Amino acid sequence: MAERYYIGKAHWGSILRGWMEKYTILAPQRAHKSLHIQPVTQDHLTSIVYDEARAAQPLKSFLLPPLEEVVGKEPSENEKPWLFLGIKACDLSALPILDQAFGGDFADPLYQKRREESMLVSSDCTQPWETCFCTLVGGQPFPTKGFDLNLSKVWDGFVVEVGSLRGKALLDGHDEVIKEMVKEEAEALEKMRKETVKRVDQQNREFKFTKPHREVVSAHWESEVWKEHAETCVECGACNHACPTCHCYFLDDVTRKEFVKLRGWDACMYSGYAVTAGGGTPRPRLFERFRNRYFCKFNYLDKNYGMYGCTGCGRCIEGCQGRIDMRAALKDLAKA
Amino acid sequence: MSRLKNPYESQKAVIEKIVPETPGIKTFVVRPKGKFSFHCGQFAELMVAGVGEGPFAMSSPCFKPEVLEFTVQNVGYMTARLHQMKEGDVVGIRGPYGNGFPLKDFHGKEVLLLIGGVGFPPARTLLYSLLQEKHQYKRIILCYGARTPQDIVYKYQIEDFRKKIELHLTVDKADANWKEREGVVTVLLDKIKVDLRNSVSVVIGPPIMMKYGTLKLLQVGYQPKDIYLSMERKMYCGIGQCRHCMIDHYFICKDGPVFTYEQLKDLPDIWE
Repeated sequence: MAERYYIGKAHWGSILRGWMEKYTILAPQRAHKSLHIQPVTQDHLTSIVYDEARAAQPLKSFLLPPLEEVVGKEPSENEKPWLFLGIKACDLSALPILDQAFGGDFADPLYQKRREESMLVSSDCTQPWETCFCTLVGGQPFPTKGFDLNLSKVWDGFVVEVGSLRGKALLDGHDEVIKEMVKEEAEALEKMRKETVKRVDQQNREFKFTKPHREVVSAHWESEVWKEHAETCVECGACNHACPTCHCYFLDDVTRKEFVKLRGWDACMYSGYAVTAGGGTPRPRLFERFRNRYFCKFNYLDKNYGMYGCTGCGRCIEGCQGRIDMRAALKDLAKA
Repeated sequence: MSRLKNPYESQKAVIEKIVPETPGIKTFVVRPKGKFSFHCGQFAELMVAGVGEGPFAMSSPCFKPEVLEFTVQNVGYMTARLHQMKEGDVVGIRGPYGNGFPLKDFHGKEVLLLIGGVGFPPARTLLYSLLQEKHQYKRIILCYGARTPQDIVYKYQIEDFRKKIELHLTVDKADANWKEREGVVTVLLDKIKVDLRNSVSVVIGPPIMMKYGTLKLLQVGYQPKDIYLSMERKMYCGIGQCRHCMIDHYFICKDGPVFTYEQLKDLPDIWE
């Protein structure tokens, strides 16, 4: 049984200030029409958006920055570790892929350090974007695992679920403001969650199909659907870069310093992505690169890491210059 | 937290000798400054500091890892710079990566190597290993094809190898002095009789050669599980992270570079 408490909003500020002594808090804040994860300062504690929907950036922007020195960089000491606040389920559920890719025999020390040190205080999604489709790919708009604490905004406060021992330790010293969750709060929480699920389901009605995604994609190596949906693609790589699970990178030695190595985000949609020194490439045509992305998401990553490379966050749809909608492409494949 | 080793970091290695092989190919003999050991068929990321890295199979014996040889064709930005380097210059290496050849599975069998062009380097490492325990193998056959007589690598070793193994040579285009076969490498298979119930074959070379080489071996009667392929694709990390070298869900760098045709035969576009 999940360990849940209730904390009223009046006490929240003092908890945040306590966290700020030990951590750099990174949380979604409003920027134009979207939410951006930004550092939180004492002056704008109130501008944190806990509920609503996922932020524009995926978590990998922090754990695996777009460009950084992986060799030659002096380890930065004395910096406060991060505490991510208000992270949504679609970002949390991407982490097991990154953890496996950057763990194991050749674990990346930079990723591992950030991952181990960072606290994850997630929160429920309440107002999904039009592009959100987590429930189509087996997800839910509220976190069930992978967090240290999870916050669900209920009335004038939060239902706080403990997800780890170190998460529980974040509540140390606040005993007098932490109350056991009562039945009414639990009911309000369930009602809110059901409503959000219903809303995500509702907005994705036309894209729903019953066969497993892996089957739908794998059965259609040869299909006109790839060509049709790739038609408006301008190969900008936004879908790759915005995706919370995409993690392809290039290594670059081109610097003036000896034995320095940069790692940067690459994108399998780029025509040069797999081009060898001799000029050959396994995917010279755009539709082949487009198809490869879907096969990677719903077949290869599943075989490599036991899960789909899509959490339904919808960032690839939101960021697409060519208005390509993954849901529509998948639906067309399922119909084919 | 325990300090993890940085998997992207190269160690320095000094170029001790450079052997010109063909107009576009050189062998670099390098001595790593730190520890290095490998199995035959594995590869390393060779780095020209400030320029770039590339995956290359060691072409020297794996039982002499103090000094490594890399035979490199000048085809791109990084290899062009490497070809300009001099003896005494320092390169970076990291590795070894990949699985290498499963030599134990070859024991007691007739081993046929079907090799094209600059696919010889990893094959030479394999040959050294096979010859070191020659009694373990019923036969060792090398079929090597190059474009022209000038494009043959390790020319100075050919006669020595011929004394120790069955060796057949061909070139796509002969010249006046050429005394061996002419034609693509698969023509060499026509005259060779092997015991198919007890044989393995290894194919290494450029993609088009690997494709037709494999098809020919199947035609001869080799089973897909007995055909070993050393695959190649664009690669950055070498450690199963960056996903550039994938064939379907396989990382060539980590699950390969050596695959049986059985593993790959049902996957689309493996030869591209």
